[in-house]
Amino acid sequence: MTDLKADKTIGEVRTDVALQIEMAKDEGKKVVGLMCSYFPIEMALAAGAIPVGLCGTTEEPIAAAEKVLPADQCPMVKATYGRSVNNTCPLFPLADCIVGETTCDGRKKMYELLAREKPMHVMDLPQKPEEKEALEHWTAEMGKLKVFLEEQLDAEITDESLRQAIKQTNKERALLTEIHGCRKVHPVPIMAGELVGLTTTFGYCVDRDNYTTRLATLLDELKRRIRDKEFACSPDRPRILWTGLGNSLGCDKVLKLVEECGGVVVCQEGCGGITRLEDPVDEDKDPVQALAERYLRVTCSCMTPNTTRFEDIDRLISEYNIQGVIDLTWQFCHTFNIESYRVGELVKEKHGLPFLHIITDFSQSDVGQLRVRIEGFLEQITLGRKSAGRRGAQS
Amino acid sequence: MATGDALFAGIDVGSLTAKSVLMGNNGIVSYAVMDTGTNPKKAGETVFAKVLHEAGSERPEIRYAVGTGYGRVSLSFVDRTITELTCHARGAHFLDPSIRTVIDIGGQDSKVINLNADGSMFDFVMNDKCAAGTGRFLQVMARALELDLEAMGTFSLSARKPSRINSTCTVFAESEVVSLLASGEAKQDIVAGLHLSVARRVGNMAKRLGIHERTVFVGGVAKNVGVRNALEDFLEVHFTPLGEDPQIIGALGAAVLAKGQYLKE
Repeated sequence: MTDLKADKTIGEVRTDVALQIEMAKDEGKKVVGLMCSYFPIEMALAAGAIPVGLCGTTEEPIAAAEKVLPADQCPMVKATYGRSVNNTCPLFPLADCIVGETTCDGRKKMYELLAREKPMHVMDLPQKPEEKEALEHWTAEMGKLKVFLEEQLDAEITDESLRQAIKQTNKERALLTEIHGCRKVHPVPIMAGELVGLTTTFGYCVDRDNYTTRLATLLDELKRRIRDKEFACSPDRPRILWTGLGNSLGCDKVLKLVEECGGVVVCQEGCGGITRLEDPVDEDKDPVQALAERYLRVTCSCMTPNTTRFEDIDRLISEYNIQGVIDLTWQFCHTFNIESYRVGELVKEKHGLPFLHIITDFSQSDVGQLRVRIEGFLEQITLGRKSAGRRGAQS
Repeated sequence: MATGDALFAGIDVGSLTAKSVLMGNNGIVSYAVMDTGTNPKKAGETVFAKVLHEAGSERPEIRYAVGTGYGRVSLSFVDRTITELTCHARGAHFLDPSIRTVIDIGGQDSKVINLNADGSMFDFVMNDKCAAGTGRFLQVMARALELDLEAMGTFSLSARKPSRINSTCTVFAESEVVSLLASGEAKQDIVAGLHLSVARRVGNMAKRLGIHERTVFVGGVAKNVGVRNALEDFLEVHFTPLGEDPQIIGALGAAVLAKGQYLKE
């Protein structure tokens, strides 16, 4: 029976999965630590290993990280490193090896230090994905990753096992896409805070079949709620599109704040959200080639000019009936920070919608200030809308 | 009140000062300003009592009250809270409907708001969690210079050559001020330099948002003629005078919104 209560903290979720992983390891399973959406988890699955996310999303490990890393680094880089060295993360010690990618400068240089803690492989990610050489290079990087994992895990990754893994993850993507799609309904059947809690929890899994079962149960439940008109909130709540960072359990303080202040986040574009979920891996091509193509289409702001992200936001605004867009950037994340200007242009100029750019970290120290911005932003939608209605009535 | 005039209240509890405005059917009835001190809840209650006393009114006659400002959540007696962003926009619009941009520099934040024709918010930008470009910055500097905060504006008018203040950080700027004093720089010039620094900081924010010709400058710092002149020069704009104390615009907007809410409910 799938538990559909999103009441666990990220710490509890990690402890739970750590226990399952330990048991699996006793039976000879290997574990690959991953850092980012650019990691092709199919490679780990095809090797019979358990992929587990090790990216930092909470404040506690940051103090330990700052003994080594400069304080003016993004909280995600600091928390990821801190988790590995402060001996409080139940998952990090279980990883047999770690894979990172050269996404941003902070991560890239931090990985040099992280490599002291565990066997580590860094994939060289090309950052102009539309160039044809980019794909050639990234395909070669996939090949190198395969060799690294085979050596580390003492396993063979065959085309057949890759194809099976691809089928599995495509099924997961399809389910997640449908789950997110349920929120096109007005009002939504689930609040974003709850959905983020559930999908993050489900994502920490040892058994992939169990993962798809849980996703399917959630999807059925959402469909039932829509059928029975059991909505998660009143229809008055402004429908917000979330973009950028900060939408997974642990680092979701602003997302929660938006829903506490009277908005509802109906779609999240970006890391941890809907991004590229609707974009499956080609099951007919050579599997390594297909993986390279698919993962090069991930739309992180480390890419330039990152055109697909803007096409996605443009489309999602219409598909999800969006009334305002919030773009969240972690402090010192230069790429998302600069790219936000273009997101604002698209939202304000093309769609004529209110846009709010928030820069924050994992701490709670700015919640008061954030509340003013968010409440003000929601008033911009609600009070503006009502007065627009009045204007209409007069004319 | 003897006239039986319906009254609406706005209470704006900021980080440094608490303001309250009472509105009747014919406009502002009374207003009050006082220091917030360390207890925002008490400051809100006291400033509200003060404004009622001035109007000769008691609470039961208030039809609707709106709280705003950082202390808005601590006010138990208001009917609703609305952010100071919306309140400043409404307050300025009430006094002059042609206004399209409001620049507010308060005790702990500064903001630039663009307005729709009906006085609702079109877009806004606020400073980050930092005291630079706020009233707090000037308060810290006044202390370092042993000057009266309220007197800084006029004092700076006799500056001959404004000092160059390089630090945007309040803490570093304070030590820069101390060094400038030690090197014999005139106090007037230092104060003028500080005003330029605030104007640059807030002015850049305003430029990023884009401002309109009909712009007003409000908040406690708007009473400082030095910052006011510096900001006008920096933005190449002439601020539209509102004819009211610029410090009460947020509370006024809250009172205007209180009236609107009452009529709607």
